[in-house]
Amino acid sequence: MRVEYINPFVEAAFNVLKEVLQADIRRGELYLKSTTMPVLGVAALVGLAGDVEGRVMFDMSKTTALAVASAMNGEQLSNFDELVKATITELANMITAQAVTKLHDLGFRFDLTPPALFTGDNMEVSDHEVEALIVPMETPQGKIEINVAIRERV
Amino acid sequence: MSEQELQVQENKNGGEVKQERILKIDFKMVTFSLAGKDYGIDIMNVKEIAKANRFTYVPNTAAFVRGVYNLRGEIIPVIDFRIFFHLPAEQKEEDAMENLLIIRKDEQIYGIIVDSIDKVVGVSSEQIQPPHPIFGDINIRYIKGVVEHQGRLYIILDVNRIFAQEEERKRTSIEAEGMPLYTPPVMEGASPARGENREGPNQAVPLEVNFIKETLFALKHFATTAINEKWVLARYEEWKKERQTSDAVQLKDLDDAEAFLKPFYSPYTDQFWGDDYAAAVRSLLPDMPGKTITVWNPGCGKGFETFSFACILRERYPEHRIKIWASDSDLLAISSAPTMAFEYEVFPEYCRPFLVKGKYGYGFNQVIKDAILFEYHDIRNNNPYVDLDIIVARDILSFMSPEEQSKILSDFDEKLKASGLLLIGSHEELPAEEWQFIGKAPVALYSKAK
Repeated sequence: MRVEYINPFVEAAFNVLKEVLQADIRRGELYLKSTTMPVLGVAALVGLAGDVEGRVMFDMSKTTALAVASAMNGEQLSNFDELVKATITELANMITAQAVTKLHDLGFRFDLTPPALFTGDNMEVSDHEVEALIVPMETPQGKIEINVAIRERV
Repeated sequence: MSEQELQVQENKNGGEVKQERILKIDFKMVTFSLAGKDYGIDIMNVKEIAKANRFTYVPNTAAFVRGVYNLRGEIIPVIDFRIFFHLPAEQKEEDAMENLLIIRKDEQIYGIIVDSIDKVVGVSSEQIQPPHPIFGDINIRYIKGVVEHQGRLYIILDVNRIFAQEEERKRTSIEAEGMPLYTPPVMEGASPARGENREGPNQAVPLEVNFIKETLFALKHFATTAINEKWVLARYEEWKKERQTSDAVQLKDLDDAEAFLKPFYSPYTDQFWGDDYAAAVRSLLPDMPGKTITVWNPGCGKGFETFSFACILRERYPEHRIKIWASDSDLLAISSAPTMAFEYEVFPEYCRPFLVKGKYGYGFNQVIKDAILFEYHDIRNNNPYVDLDIIVARDILSFMSPEEQSKILSDFDEKLKASGLLLIGSHEELPAEEWQFIGKAPVALYSKAK
């Protein structure tokens, strides 16, 4: 993944999470992964096209998703219902949109697809063709992993 | 069951507060001794202990395989740890009982001969310290850690590593190099020493080199294979002369390893290529067909190599479009590459036609910058590069494990066009069956063998 793309994603995630959660956010060490990874429980996937091809995934556990949705809606949510799913999807959209805007300012043209939300147990994600960059974000509600797997459109 | 430790602490006011720290025993090991030192093995790996003497000799095995033994109907291989680790072994009479540790790894059972078996010791896994390279007499890879218990220091061995299939094959070849195979005692007359070095001090040499190779891998992740073996052996001879006494020959710490490897690096590592090296590279570049030249530069680091090569290509092939993919797994190093800027004098002559003045000094112009894409990428993962004309990978292969080296090399072969070129480190070399050397020292340029 091009080095110029990394900062916009990291910054967008940090800014958006800080704003919606109104709390201290900490970024963990970035690393690269190329093998099958287990999904923490709830994954929001946004496709990317344009100068690149690939996708960005926001991965977190069900409890974290509930806590985040609760914080964003201002009420205590305990069932994983449509409201929670819509909120997490919206969060994914916000972060990706801000990242793409930053990238646009740098001269790169990215398109996004509408987000899809996956929930389940024992899920795994594999990217055998494309290397994935993982940005772990620590929030008071739990860990959210941003998983970006894109490659240049040759 | 728990062990209590009393700790006396001084609180802020200078008074004394007694604190109890309860350590949970969660690691038990069977302790034994080899050549006077105490060792331990995780009790989960140990099936039982036994005393035995009549081992059935198996011909043509490594010196440390004493043979096989019938353990209540099951035939198990018996390994003498003292010979395995090149430690002095107590010479026993032929029929004397040896102390055996019966180990189970996966489904296989092994018997291990040790000097004497002590007792079961329980410690807290928190107390186990990682091994230190200074344990030169036993390969650091086989040591899981060290722990102190009641005044004695135990070295905990990692049975899984010792008995891993690959290791056994590798060890057998190490034995074949230096030591004679174990032969059973002759019936009449005196029995020859078991597993002793027959040829004396000369045997120390291949063993020493192997310890150095292991330490280089452990400390600097430098794997000695056919790619760099010639250089390592030549360097070893030099190193020995520098370090007169045989004690100081071994690499005791990171500084030693770095000092050993210092002459390995290709010229102008981590800096712009000097005018001399750049001219040498330029003179070796053949004419290129087509309209575009695609290059991959893994391990580009801060980008000095990439920009140097870009300038050389731009000048050598004025009609071609240049595209360079530069990647590195060190995020910090590569992040600053796209926008590097310095004083004018820092740049070598051949780069100067491509500079522009910026806010923070001189940097490369848009033509050069547009030609290069810097990517944060781990060479061990998949990448989308195909149909490459040139790969510049100086001193990368040597710092990968042997399996990774062959995988990456065959990857290079696949990704390069039939007429592709590969530039590697000055002290690295490629097998003649697959690669043809078309360079000239110190430029190690290869093309695919016809």
